[in-house]
Amino acid sequence: MAPPPSSAGKAPFFLALGVALLLWGSYWGLFLAPGERFMGEVQRIMYVHVPTAWNSMLVLTVSFVAALGFLFTNRWGYDHVLEASLEVGLVLGALLCVQGSIWAKPTWGVWWDWDPRLTSTAVLVFSVGGILALRAFVDDPVKRAVWSSVCTIVAYVDVPIVYFSVRWWNSLHQMQSTPQTVSSAFHWPLRINAFGVLFLWIGLVMLRARLAALRLQEETSVPEPVR
Amino acid sequence: MTGVIQGGTEFVIAAYVVTALVLGGYTASVVARFRRARRGTPPR
Repeated sequence: MAPPPSSAGKAPFFLALGVALLLWGSYWGLFLAPGERFMGEVQRIMYVHVPTAWNSMLVLTVSFVAALGFLFTNRWGYDHVLEASLEVGLVLGALLCVQGSIWAKPTWGVWWDWDPRLTSTAVLVFSVGGILALRAFVDDPVKRAVWSSVCTIVAYVDVPIVYFSVRWWNSLHQMQSTPQTVSSAFHWPLRINAFGVLFLWIGLVMLRARLAALRLQEETSVPEPVR
Repeated sequence: MTGVIQGGTEFVIAAYVVTALVLGGYTASVVARFRRARRGTPPR
């Protein structure tokens, strides 16, 4: 049985675990892992940038599944998860662009380039922002849920484009890293931070979905008569 | 020219500080909004 919306449930556990892993992974990445042969110290940005990238795609996949779930079942729980995961996805996506920009300057010599990977990511971030703006403007909860679900499914088309853009087109951005292309000395801080961001967003989505449920409850409750 | 990027520590610090501020700030905002909504005061 699901806990009531006013209960934080297991969210504090996931938030605490996420923060602890991020602190551990970042300490390892900053002070214990060796510098990279060509990028030197700047490569340490990878330990926050790559986990943010993986998890932003993952949380938007949750949005996509929640959107489909609402359209097929009309259950409000899916709409709450949709709202929560879109907001978390926007934060991670925007953070991803800023981290990438900070990494781009010392390696590419520019803060930004209209390269396929960067452009498709920017399109995704603005699409998610647009869907959240749509949700803020629509008062009718049913229309809000249906319209934002449809828009999320359309916007999600960009996620595989972001992922494969470095393979499909000539891109300034490097190809996806795999365990075979990354030295084993870099694996652990990368994995620890990846799980740190994962647990953090799971906790955030849980808490934010409860908040969405509380707001819907307040929106749809019948006002008490004045005595 | 060695082909190796020299320095760049300030960019590393900037990336980690921005990450901490964004993730920490957003987490604090969600927790605060949830507590406010649970108490019954309208979230800002």
